[in-house]
Amino acid sequence: MRQTETPSSQTPATDTSPTSSRPGTGARWNTVQPWLTLACRLGLAGVLLYSAVSKYPPALSVQAVEAYDLFPPDIARLIGYTLPLFELALAVLLLLGLATRFTGAVSTLLMLVFIAGIISAMARGLSIDCGCFGGGGQVDPEETTYGLSIARDIGFAAMGAVIALWPRSPLAVDRALGLFR
Amino acid sequence: MGSEARRRSREKLKEQRAKERKAAQRRKNLIVVGIAVVVVLAIVGIGYAVLNADRQEDFAGDLAPQTLQEDGSVVMAAEGAEAPVVEVYADYQCPACRQFELTTGDLLKESAAQGEAVVHYRPISIFAEQQVPISSNSLRSAAAARAAADAGLFVQYNDLLFEHQPTEGREGYTPEQLKEWFAQLGPTPEQQEEFDARVDEEAEVVSRFTEDFLPPLAQDAQEQIGQETLGTMVLSDLLAWGADNGHDPSFLDGTYTGEIIEATGNAYTRFSGDNALRGTPSVYINGELLDNDTAMTVRGLSEAISSAEPGEVGTEPMGDGGDAEQNS
Repeated sequence: MRQTETPSSQTPATDTSPTSSRPGTGARWNTVQPWLTLACRLGLAGVLLYSAVSKYPPALSVQAVEAYDLFPPDIARLIGYTLPLFELALAVLLLLGLATRFTGAVSTLLMLVFIAGIISAMARGLSIDCGCFGGGGQVDPEETTYGLSIARDIGFAAMGAVIALWPRSPLAVDRALGLFR
Repeated sequence: MGSEARRRSREKLKEQRAKERKAAQRRKNLIVVGIAVVVVLAIVGIGYAVLNADRQEDFAGDLAPQTLQEDGSVVMAAEGAEAPVVEVYADYQCPACRQFELTTGDLLKESAAQGEAVVHYRPISIFAEQQVPISSNSLRSAAAARAAADAGLFVQYNDLLFEHQPTEGREGYTPEQLKEWFAQLGPTPEQQEEFDARVDEEAEVVSRFTEDFLPPLAQDAQEQIGQETLGTMVLSDLLAWGADNGHDPSFLDGTYTGEIIEATGNAYTRFSGDNALRGTPSVYINGELLDNDTAMTVRGLSEAISSAEPGEVGTEPMGDGGDAEQNS
């Protein structure tokens, strides 16, 4: 009895040591992580907000989607109208910190879809602007910036992944609801 | 024994509580995700409804009379209309021009029919120097539209072209298709015959121009005057340079293909500064370039039209009477 109690009585002592609540994570990380996640939330929200707004008016957004030559006109039109709105919605959720993990994961998925689209355009030898932040459509072959667009999207996907893996952050509705404290 | 049983039941209770806490947490998570999904659906749904409200009803009335101009452009205006002049520079191979037509085509027709706008259609070919088939599609369709204008059917044909716009980089606007679409407009047999002959002629001119004439000319020019200067030259200037340097462009004389190339050069040089034509569609009201938010939305364009003063058309009607001015 005594022997089994001894290690458990030591647990509070280890709790105050640098390696606390989760095994393998440092106290420093525990202080930094919420702020890192908050920075990713705000940063990604800004990116999504800007990309949504820059796609206005929808007629041009539709044309940017059509340039990928992947969808029939009706579907391209629907995507051209709703994609910027979807981006806007994700930006709002990130700003609010509502369903943080879910929103981070969905943002990452969205970026992966974008990357797939760009790679497919590249592979088919199209010379188009990605239409990521407005614009879009045909450009001169030497003016394509697929590499840059993909690198950018990988960065945004990583930000989403940080949010999804470590959803705990200040200034979040989730926290008020008792999630990710 | 008794204490052992108590300990066990205590542990069980602890486990039970932990389980319940976990289940409650999971439930909370699901609820929050559910709320998030509702937020997303609300934003997308309401936004889509709002954006979609920016729509013009299909115009089903009679078109305002269309008048062919000396430079091959077409003015659509009600008899004696004193209204702002809306100039539309468009390339039939340009996808944004197709979107412009789909978004605002009916608004322009209605505004013209009601005498609220004088609509000046100015087809150009900004893609004439690109690779085949982008260049050839662009030129062939513009020449066909010009031929349709001879029959007084430009505006209707303009719609059909945009409706059937080929994907950039794919073969399209073939002479057969161009003739077939014209036939759908119910021309007289003579008009159809004239149109068909013209389309065939122009198709030959276009393939000669894009395949045999332009590539060697562009290469010579690049070697002799350099890419930098070449990049600033409009196509009609390049042709003028070619004429002095062993590339005789006279086969374009009197063709609608040549006319479109010239109209394109004129469009590029006509405006300067903020007003400059940089691509298509470029929409001007009384000579002032509209930004995309204005030109590419029904609300933006109709407000711009209704707030503008009456203007003057900058071109003269074609002088040869007859079929130049036709009501449809």
